[in-house]
Amino acid sequence: MRPVYALGAGVHPWGKWPDKPQLQLALEAMDTALADAGVAWPDVQALAAASSRFEGGMGWGLHANEVVQAVAEQGMPCINVGGACAAGVIALQSAYSLIASGQYDVVAALGAERMPKGFIPRPPGSKDDRTDNDYLRWVTMGATNPAYWAIEARRRQHDHGTTAETLAKASVLMRRNAAGNRYARYRDPVGVEEVFASPMVADPLHLLQICPVSDGAAAVILGSEDFVKRSGKPAVRVAGCAVGSGQFGDPARRIPTIATTVREGIPHTSEVAGAVRRAFDMAGVAPKDIDVLEMADNTAWHILAWPELFGFYEPGQGDWMLENGKLAIDGEIAVNPSGGFLSFGEATTAQALLQVTEILWQLRGQAEGHQVSDAKVGMTAVLGLGANGGSVILTR
Amino acid sequence: MNGADPEMVVEGLVEMGSSGPRLIGSHCLGCGTLYFPQMPGCPNPDCHDKRLERTLLPDEGTLYSYTIQRYQPPPLFRMDDWAPYVLGLVDLGAGLRVMGMLSGIGENEVEIGMKLRLAVESLYRDAERGDVCTYMFAAAGDRA
Repeated sequence: MRPVYALGAGVHPWGKWPDKPQLQLALEAMDTALADAGVAWPDVQALAAASSRFEGGMGWGLHANEVVQAVAEQGMPCINVGGACAAGVIALQSAYSLIASGQYDVVAALGAERMPKGFIPRPPGSKDDRTDNDYLRWVTMGATNPAYWAIEARRRQHDHGTTAETLAKASVLMRRNAAGNRYARYRDPVGVEEVFASPMVADPLHLLQICPVSDGAAAVILGSEDFVKRSGKPAVRVAGCAVGSGQFGDPARRIPTIATTVREGIPHTSEVAGAVRRAFDMAGVAPKDIDVLEMADNTAWHILAWPELFGFYEPGQGDWMLENGKLAIDGEIAVNPSGGFLSFGEATTAQALLQVTEILWQLRGQAEGHQVSDAKVGMTAVLGLGANGGSVILTR
Repeated sequence: MNGADPEMVVEGLVEMGSSGPRLIGSHCLGCGTLYFPQMPGCPNPDCHDKRLERTLLPDEGTLYSYTIQRYQPPPLFRMDDWAPYVLGLVDLGAGLRVMGMLSGIGENEVEIGMKLRLAVESLYRDAERGDVCTYMFAAAGDRA
């Protein structure tokens, strides 16, 4: 396998953009990424795009094809990948493989999303189907996504004594980080009192402890070592890039299932934990080497629990780490210096590429307003419906 | 189903027996794993048989965790006189944890570890179907 580099990245700011179709968000993110990489469309040899079920893609998830038909009809392969909230990292994995294999030298990965308002519903027109968990969870008990995360959070309180205040402080940290990030949607800092004053959605999680939904787009341009040498541009190494799916017996309360068969010794959220482990192995690094972690904080609970699941520290220690400032931008390991999903809102299929973009900027020292001092190794971790997990490690 | 059986919001999840309702699941003849709801196959990578049979699951368990659903879910969920309700994750033994609404247990009474028993309760009354029910979990002592 050949080494792979991140040449550049671009983001369309997260928010609500009622006047911009999904394709427009995609094109703007691509333009920004190409300029950042110092390349142009004729240099791009393949495009891997995350497929959305909400908009665009001609109804078939053909989001890469829509982009090239708009701006780059040059015969390139269009790879459209599903993976729900992890689709962006699967697109990146596809682009990575095309370069690592030696087939191409410059490949783009793209995710762009406009989200419907409110709780994510079943796809319109879905038939009543009692073999479909996403049907069963609604009709039998009305279990919203936050209810699944809340059940995890409540159990953590039971197992580790996590207090409501600590859970609130996770949101406070994310909003404090976002204050310095011009791409984030929610940039006003909040205090513990404001978190508690926000409506309870699913105990113990308040509105400000659950990621909203947003529109946004992100693109990353990858290149081969040959290309990097030829172009003479500084590039950051993609040292680890792994995707995977879940393991039998995983105790996570996996959306949208209504039951779980649990087996001893299987990691919680195994699809992500497994991808993280493989990314560590590929990169030849360990948790102690990571300066900055961008992880999917669908809720405040994730901020406390996920680094533990990945072996950064012992189960239950996340509370102490957060309370003592160890997860802050100037802490031991900066968790979501971007502000995370809690400050961006989730633009599902674009989110994983936003994470990679953030790590790239951190390693270049370009994370204006929320820079982690001298960041050398950064990691992403993301989870998607269907037990899709992915993780990327960048090094300089 | 005979005429006395309740109208369920979805068929195939619950069987009414002489000693009360039971969830219908799958039992793997190869590895012994219990699943709910019934599965098309056995996903255990260590299982090489993977033949499944329909089975009735234990009707008692303990509360592993819970939340309170404070917002009205999308319209696919229908409930008369909607009010926040407790959603539980119930350990039925053998590693099987099932999610469901709790019945008759207020938010100040719910406690991890409490003993629960399967119940069937009305969600809403429909002009044509009458009371439409779902499975829930009630305090284990309630039926004594």
